[in-house]
Amino acid sequence: MPHHPSPLTAPSRRLALIGLAATLTTAAFAQPSSKPGAYTELRWDDLVPKGWDPMAGFKDKNIGALVDGDPKTMDMMARLREVWDNAPAETRLDGAAIKLPGYLVPLDESKAGITEFLLVPYFGACVHSPPPPANQIVLVVPAKPITGYQTMDTVWVSGRLRTARQGSPMGTSAYRLEAALVDRYQAPAR
Amino acid sequence: MTPLITLAARSAWNRRFVLALVVASIALSSFLLMGIERIRQDVRENFAQAVSGTDLIVGARTGPVQLLLYSVFRIGNATNNIRWTSAQVLAQHRAVAWMVPLSLGDSHRGFPVLGTTPDYFKHFKHGDKQPLRVAQGRAFEGLYEAVLGAEVARRLNYTLGQRIVLAHGDGAIAANDHADKPFVVSGILAPTGTPVDRTLHVSLQAIEALHADWIAGARLPGMALSAEAAAQRDLTPRSVTAVLLGLKNRAAVFSVQREVAAFRDEPLLAILPGVALDELWDVVALGERGLQAMSALVAVVSLGGLMAVILAGLNERRRELAILRAVGAGPRQMLWLLALEGGLVTLAGVAIGVLACWAAVAGLSGWIQGQFGLTLQAAPPGAPEWRLIGALVAGGWLASLVPGWRAYRLSLADGLSPRL
Amino acid sequence: MASSIPALQVTGLRYRWPGAASDVLQIDTLSIAAGERVFLRGPSGCGKSTLLSLMAGVLLADAGSVALLGQAWSELSSARRDRRRADHLGYIFQQFNLLPYLSVLDNVRLPCRFSRHRAERTRAGDAERLLERSGLAEALWSRPASALSVGQQQRVAAVRALIGGPGLVVADEPTSALDEDLRESFMALLLDSCAEAGSALVFVSHDSRLAAHFDRQLDLPALNRAGTLAAAAETAA
Repeated sequence: MPHHPSPLTAPSRRLALIGLAATLTTAAFAQPSSKPGAYTELRWDDLVPKGWDPMAGFKDKNIGALVDGDPKTMDMMARLREVWDNAPAETRLDGAAIKLPGYLVPLDESKAGITEFLLVPYFGACVHSPPPPANQIVLVVPAKPITGYQTMDTVWVSGRLRTARQGSPMGTSAYRLEAALVDRYQAPAR
Repeated sequence: MTPLITLAARSAWNRRFVLALVVASIALSSFLLMGIERIRQDVRENFAQAVSGTDLIVGARTGPVQLLLYSVFRIGNATNNIRWTSAQVLAQHRAVAWMVPLSLGDSHRGFPVLGTTPDYFKHFKHGDKQPLRVAQGRAFEGLYEAVLGAEVARRLNYTLGQRIVLAHGDGAIAANDHADKPFVVSGILAPTGTPVDRTLHVSLQAIEALHADWIAGARLPGMALSAEAAAQRDLTPRSVTAVLLGLKNRAAVFSVQREVAAFRDEPLLAILPGVALDELWDVVALGERGLQAMSALVAVVSLGGLMAVILAGLNERRRELAILRAVGAGPRQMLWLLALEGGLVTLAGVAIGVLACWAAVAGLSGWIQGQFGLTLQAAPPGAPEWRLIGALVAGGWLASLVPGWRAYRLSLADGLSPRL
Repeated sequence: MASSIPALQVTGLRYRWPGAASDVLQIDTLSIAAGERVFLRGPSGCGKSTLLSLMAGVLLADAGSVALLGQAWSELSSARRDRRRADHLGYIFQQFNLLPYLSVLDNVRLPCRFSRHRAERTRAGDAERLLERSGLAEALWSRPASALSVGQQQRVAAVRALIGGPGLVVADEPTSALDEDLRESFMALLLDSCAEAGSALVFVSHDSRLAAHFDRQLDLPALNRAGTLAAAAETAA
């Protein structure tokens, strides 16, 4: 992926971009499921417990005045990341059979295919933009190793969601989807 | 169709010298296509299987693909090292379960030398989460002990207890030898089919001891330290080339990666091996496409040759076609006859090409493994190979429909009395 | 095997080559009875080959009808014409009748491969019996056809044309490449075999001396009105 230097990478704009991206992804992925089945289709918003605000505690910090590379900026980014790492999971979703679209980041690959991957809500989550909060990452273990997928491919995953009981001591409690079915995502015609 | 197939076969056998050339060219193009497909798949598999179970690789801020290449595959060189203090900070990070440091730069008779800790043998996995296995002996414990990869031991005929001398850099010039500090082989690893086989493993302290009297890459005259004297010094490493990280919670990769990138003391880069591999494939894909396009062109050319040979021979075969017509074959059967002939020739060529490829891989895989470190498998054709074979046979059959059509028209025009 | 259906019935035939200005053949009526052996004389270029192709259903008449064993060619589709030709017609060329890469026996049995009707009418051993009658040494039967002399090849061609007893055998100048001694023996073989199988025979040649062997003699230029018309047009021009 080519790295375009642009004002969009300044931290202030980055935060705005994340908010925008989160809204856009819900719009982009909110298509009626064409497959009948026992899975409830979720949006990434649904993984965030009601009432948890990612930007709580940072609203008054005058984000627009931040400069990239400034130690104060880096401090704030570090604190933001800490908050997001400990983002709570929506425990009511534990055990629910759900279906969710997202971008694939491979973790483990064997001869038979990808055996474990992370599902994230927006493109470039691992490289250009700050990582998503812990409740916006799902660790997926496919029922059978999948082949033919590359980093940042769009997929549907379906399966039973597991959440951590409380925030794990390491932060990034994450959701977990075991024995998942993975399909390629088809963008709806516009 | 039975009479036609036998007739087509006998007729083709009658003209076998000319057709043999066509068969040979089709065989060659099949050989090429199959060979390239096999190499492509096996290279991918080789690379993908080289590291497993490592969540992040951290090195100096170079580039993801470059970091992956030099840390895991020993291809290329690091432009910069990272400080040992940074490695320690990473090891103590709350999200990190284990840290294995890697120190590269030395070599032994063309094989790279890796300085690391005994944790390497515990945590480094390859393939399908398979750990390294020490086949003979044990991991290094003493200062000047080395553990050999399987390929190193085999090619250089080393055994346990052997004394070896490491060299600085690529080892071409004898003056760069660390001849005053010889090593003893304490262990040999089981084969893995990865770059581990071609590597010699020593402790980080041993690397420090080797370079205790070297400054900026050159040995200082008059400052030589004996092996014993070097062993007495403080051998805490000052820098390492890269570190492998395992996390307590895999979902934390992004967060840790971001923290590493924002590390204030030193410019660092953290990569997810799977993601970096995919980037490598993007780069390599262009070359792959080029090779595949070329082979496809070769196939098209050889099928064109098939068509040309059959077309050119049609005139001589007008008599044969007239006889068949008189005996009761219709124009449609003429078409089928020539299509079958083309199909048979293509089938023969493809079969020979596929078998030749399989035999070449089976016969040469040992030599290729030694020369290039690449494991080729003489496996039966998989789905992509069958698709290629199918495309070739279908292409040959289609190519012979053109002369078949011409024969159809000729036999219609000639009727029973060809103008010969 | 006498039958009242004529082996060949031509009525009001008109044919011209595509794009030609005038007809090359105009024949009001021509009938060949079952089992009849007819000598058709005509110099080269008078339309013999065209007439033979029309008889065999390879070409279709522009007007009129050509019927083999009571079935007009024009009523059949192309595929069914091919099948009917395979079933009921035997053909002998002037030379190069055999596929050189097949054995003599395989050549003889070729029509049975393409026609189930003829295969059914052939009993086991028929091919061998006919070959023996033709005087070909048994040692040669499994040799490739290219190993035979011209005379031997023509005899095998005759056997092949007659295997399975087709309704009509057409021989297009079969003796022109043979020298005199062979010619006589070939003629005898052909005529006897046709009589035995009950097949009608149309023997085309420019050599009038052979006409004596046949029940009936036809002269194509006389039969073909188109020739006289063309000649008249030429003289007038």
